Formats: sequence, C-alpha cells, structure tokens
Amino acid sequence: MAGRLLQAFLSAALLAALPVQRGKAASPPPALYTQSQARQGASTFEGKCASCHGHHLEGGVGPALEGPVFASAKSGFTIQQIYEFLSVEMPAYAPGSLSRTQYLDITAFLLQQNGYPAGSRALTDRIASASTVPLLFQAALKAPAKVAKSRAHAGRPLDMPKTNAP
Amino acid sequence: MTRFQPFLPRRSLWRLALWALLLAPLAGAFAAGYPAVTNARLAHAATDNGWLMFLRDYTGDSYAPFRQINSRNVADLKLAWDYDIGMKRGFEASPIVNGRYLFVTTPKDHLLAFDAVTGKVLWTYQENLTGVGLKTVCCDVVNRGVALYGNNVYMATLDNYVVALDAKTGKVVWRRQIKPADVGYAMTLAPLTVQGMVIVGTSGGEYGARDFVVALDAKTGREIWRQYTVPSPGQPGSDTWPKGGIYQHGGGSAWLTGTFDPASDTLFWGGGNPGPWLATLRPGKNLFTDSLQAFDPRTGKRKWYYQYTPHDSWDYDGVNTPMITSLTYHGRRYQAIVHADRNGWLYVIDRDTHKLIYAVPFAHTMSVAGFRDGLPYTDDAARPTIKKQIFTCPSFLGGKNWWPASVDPATHMVYVPTIHTCMTMKGAPTFYKPGLAYLGETFKVVHDPNDSNWGALQAFDLDTGKRVWDHESARPWDDGAMSTAGGLVFSGTEGGHLLAFDAHTGAVLWRSPKLSSGIIAPPVTYRVDGTQYVAILAGYGGATPIWGGEMVKAVADVPRGGHLYVFSLKR
Repeated sequence: MAGRLLQAFLSAALLAALPVQRGKAASPPPALYTQSQARQGASTFEGKCASCHGHHLEGGVGPALEGPVFASAKSGFTIQQIYEFLSVEMPAYAPGSLSRTQYLDITAFLLQQNGYPAGSRALTDRIASASTVPLLFQAALKAPAKVAKSRAHAGRPLDMPKTNAP
Repeated sequence: MTRFQPFLPRRSLWRLALWALLLAPLAGAFAAGYPAVTNARLAHAATDNGWLMFLRDYTGDSYAPFRQINSRNVADLKLAWDYDIGMKRGFEASPIVNGRYLFVTTPKDHLLAFDAVTGKVLWTYQENLTGVGLKTVCCDVVNRGVALYGNNVYMATLDNYVVALDAKTGKVVWRRQIKPADVGYAMTLAPLTVQGMVIVGTSGGEYGARDFVVALDAKTGREIWRQYTVPSPGQPGSDTWPKGGIYQHGGGSAWLTGTFDPASDTLFWGGGNPGPWLATLRPGKNLFTDSLQAFDPRTGKRKWYYQYTPHDSWDYDGVNTPMITSLTYHGRRYQAIVHADRNGWLYVIDRDTHKLIYAVPFAHTMSVAGFRDGLPYTDDAARPTIKKQIFTCPSFLGGKNWWPASVDPATHMVYVPTIHTCMTMKGAPTFYKPGLAYLGETFKVVHDPNDSNWGALQAFDLDTGKRVWDHESARPWDDGAMSTAGGLVFSGTEGGHLLAFDAHTGAVLWRSPKLSSGIIAPPVTYRVDGTQYVAILAGYGGATPIWGGEMVKAVADVPRGGHLYVFSLKR
C-alpha cells in the first residue's frame, strides 16, 4: 500500500512538473553542432549504427533514437549522458571502437534528427562532456527528412488488431 | 501465405475433398473443442500428445517419448504445412501445442494460433507497443513463447505485461504490468504455469535493473509473490554486496523460464549476471546472481542456491535451464540438476544435498578456472579492471547461450548447443541512468584460438561426464536441442537447416530443405490423431548479430524473416 501511495504521489508530482518542462522545451533549443558534423555523423551512423537502430533511426533490434518516445521528458536524458554513454558502450559489437570525432559527429546527427538546430560552433568533447542540456524531441523544429520514412517493418505485416483492451 | 503440400496423388485429392465436405460439421466441432490444461495434465506433460510448455514438461529436458518418427524412417520426413510470418527480427519461440491448437509468438509480441494439423490461422493478437521505446531490451525484440493453463494462453511482453488470452478466441482475459517499460526491465521469456500460478522473470542485467521472479494468479493476474534475485540490506545474501545502494541496480535477471520438481515442491530458476558488468565496482560474491535458485513455489521463499560464477565480471548469466533428471555417477544414484552454463562448464548438482556432483567443461573455460570443495573459483588474471584489458574464454555470449539443451533418459546423454568464442574485455567508466545500459566494460568477441569452428552440438554421457559425440559447425550453433524416443536429436542451424541426429552417434540422419532463414528457436514435436509432427520457427536474429564482435561476419549473410515449418512422415 505504501508503494502505491508513493507511486500516486510521484505521479502527481510528475504531472505538476510537466508544465514547467513544457515551458522549458518551448524556449528555442541551443545550436550545439555544425551542419558538417551532422552530415558526417549521418554517414558514420549509416555504417556503424543503422544495422541495429534502423536507417532512419526508427529502431530495430536497438531502440529508436529519434522522436518523442526516445527523447522525452520522462527519459530525462542530457546531451552529456547520451554522448558519454554512446562513446563508451556503442556500437554493441565493438564498444568504444570509434574515434572521438566519430562519436561527436554521431551525437551531432542525433541532435539534428531530434530537431536541434545546427550552428556555427562545432560540438567538442569538452562541451558534450559537460552539457546539461536536456535531449527533448523538438517536433516543431524537426526538419523534414530528405528520404521518405517508412515505419512499417520490412517483413510482410500481419493484419492484426492493435487493441489490448480486455 | 500458407502453402499446403499435399502428400496424396491428385485422384486421392478428389476423394479427400468429398470426405472434407462430409466431415465439415465435425471440423466445426474441433473449433469449439479446446482441451482444458489442468494441473494433472501439466504434471504429466512429458507423456501428453501436445507440447504443453516451453521445454515440454516441468523437467525442462525437451524430450518427447514419441517414436513414430525414428532413426530408421526420419529420412522420409516431409513438410506437412508452413506459414510465412515475415518480420525481419529474431524468432525464438517454441511452438506450444494443446490438442489441435498450436501457438507461436513473434518479435514484438505478436501471438498466432494455428490449427496444428492444417496450418489454418485461428486467431492473432498483437501487443500494442506504441509509445514503448524498447530502450532496455538487450538482445533483439524477441519472445520465447506462451504458457497454458485452464482455457487461457499467457504471454510475457517487452513492456512487462503478462497477458492472459482466451485460447480459443484470442480475446484478452486480463493484463497485468509488473514493472514500467523502458526503465531497465523487459520480458522475453515464456511464462511457466505451476499450480494455478503464472510465473515469469524479468530481464535487465545490462540496464541497472534489480531483477525478480513473480507469480501471478492464473485466473485473475493478481500478484501472489515477488522474489528479488539480489537481496536488499539485511536479507540473506546481502553481506555478499557492498554497503549502500548498488544492490538496487544489481541485475540478477531472471530472463529464462525455470523448471519445477513436484516431488520436492521446488521451483528452480536461474539468476543472471550482476550489474554493472565490471566486478570491481561491487566487491563480494554478489548473490544470487549467476546462481541456481530453489524456491518454494507457493511463497517464493528461497530454499537453497548454488552459485555457478562468483563475483562475475564477464556477463555469465546463470539462467540457462536447470534440467531435472536422475543419473548414476561412480555407482551412486543421484536426483540431479543438469545445467550447461554460459561460463563453459556443465554442472551436475545433487538436488538432495544441494552440492556439486561433478562439473566438466564443454567449451574453452578460462574465467572459471576450476573447483575446490565443490565450489567454482575464478582466475584473477581473467578479471578486467579500468586499466587492464584481459583475454578470456568463453566470451560473454557464453560457451552456450539460452538455447535449451536436451536430456534423453534413454541414452543418458545431454545434448548441448555450443559456441566457440573468447573475448577481450576492459573496464570503462559508467553511470546509472534509467533507459541506458549500465555495463562499465568494453569488449570484443573473438574466435576461440583452440577451435577453428564457431559452433557445435555436443553430446555428454551424464553417467560419466564424458563427451560422446561432437558435431562441429563453421557457423555458431544458436539453436536448442530436442530429443525423442525415436533415437533422434533435432536442432537447427544458422544456415537454415533443421537436422535430425542419431542420438547415440551424432550421425546426421536427416537434413531439412534450406528454410527461409537461420534457426534460433527450439524445435518441438507433438501428435494429433496418431500422427507425429515436428515444428520449428525459422527467423534469424537475437544476440549474435548485435553483440557478436568478430562472429558477426560469420552470420552476416543469413537471410531474415520468420517462417513456421511443420514436418511429418509421408503416409
């Protein structure tokens, strides 16, 4: 019962906090990387990451890396956390095997794909390692993808109801 | 698309069509008839005509007493029916069969019910994973199948629901979430039904979870007990962890289905690797990670344990099936647990004294170097630190991963799927953040320098601990084994062939046509109306192509896509 009370309290606290977070997200996100980094990151991502995370970051055997479910207030990821995590533990088949530059480029690409704008200053190891900027999907700022996205899995889809309701 | 491969000549087909018309009302009667799965039927699942649970029966031995398909006629095995599911992810489910109902699950928690004889789809269900990030699912978005009880079928999901559905209609009876999604926990296992309870365990040893086994009321979904595999301060075993809060992210995932011994009323369940992976961050033995745990099934109280790998730094989950059997070793009869561990040792443990009877390596073992007084000891030289990179065997994928071994009571042998891998490993900085992995190590899977092949299926005589046969494979062996009274062992290859071996000699007696994809789902067998069938899902994926390091190249050309195949003898 105590657990449920705590859960209810936490849920209420979370709801109360939501408007604040929305308020924060509404302020324009900072420009933390250059277009050239994101372009390079897209290429590295395709070669090293897409086999698990999908060619359009839509997820596969690994999670989707763009969108409101991945970069959510609930997840609460900061740029520093994502950068440090991926530069130590990714790619799963050879963690830490990419260069510092490649990890920065991929981080820039993830920022771009989650709606963060490019700027004139490059993302550096020092900036990324200390950045407390939250990673929150910026739907309004997300540039339309150059390639039409297909979210359907590659296999023949089963025609099945998507309901879980008893 | 379902393709039927009729065994009859065209003339007979006309006759068959006429019979079909006459018998149509009876077919309707079948649709209504679902034989209820009772405690008594589950207790005698070994001799049931169906395949009522994950590894056939509570012993987990994946052995069926059927002999219609046997070593003399297996060469005549032909396709009875098949079904193209699609979905280019890993298919790891055992088909579960009750009467004429056959159930399979797919990646991302779809469930399909078939007529086990004709392959007709009876109903389908899809877990709604919209809004689920699948951030803390380590090794492909797989599911290993269903459990049955009463008139229900049960599935555990990636977003931590246990779902009960009406077996005849697929209608949801109840759903219960045992933990929120995306914060370290997920479920991929087939549930186990015991005495009116649905028992499941959580995955999450890579994501800072503190894992547990949980029993729900099969009728309502109400939680009956929950037992953590990592103790909290003050509980038994807590003195094997550092003080402070690290136990809260201590792993010990319970991600593979356990077994049940009705005679001693004991539930056996494995505990997975401790978290984070780097052992220097959590001094102590870290109970009950990498351990066999014996629980009271009514309360979840831990009766006893045996730790396979103390203070693990290599991700050697101890979740592989604890198979229940009896054997004679050095002239003495034992009631035993047989378990082929990730660390490369085959453990044979006395269920009466809870002590090791013997252990033999089935793969290249360096990390666990040997045994003293029946307990394993590890090699300090194989332990990575932040500053030290080590080379050890087997790799974290194990001498064997989850693919079920099989114990054949007729040959007294255990058939062990094996991979020949080693690895480099080094400590790395880490931090706990819900939704991200919590490892503290970097690593790379490399070839075993002692073996030119990536995999094998091996047979060991349980009465001697000696290897009897060894079928080596250039590719990793990523499929479970199933043995039968027909003197056969079935197992599939990554190349996409289901093989039947002579259980005594290991000779390949039958090789299926090349299936649509590589096989990582265990084979099963069942009987309907006097005909024995063998069923298998093809559909490559799972852990190997994600984490496999150098081994990834060996499987890069394996085509993807799920497909169910059912074989029987031509009549």
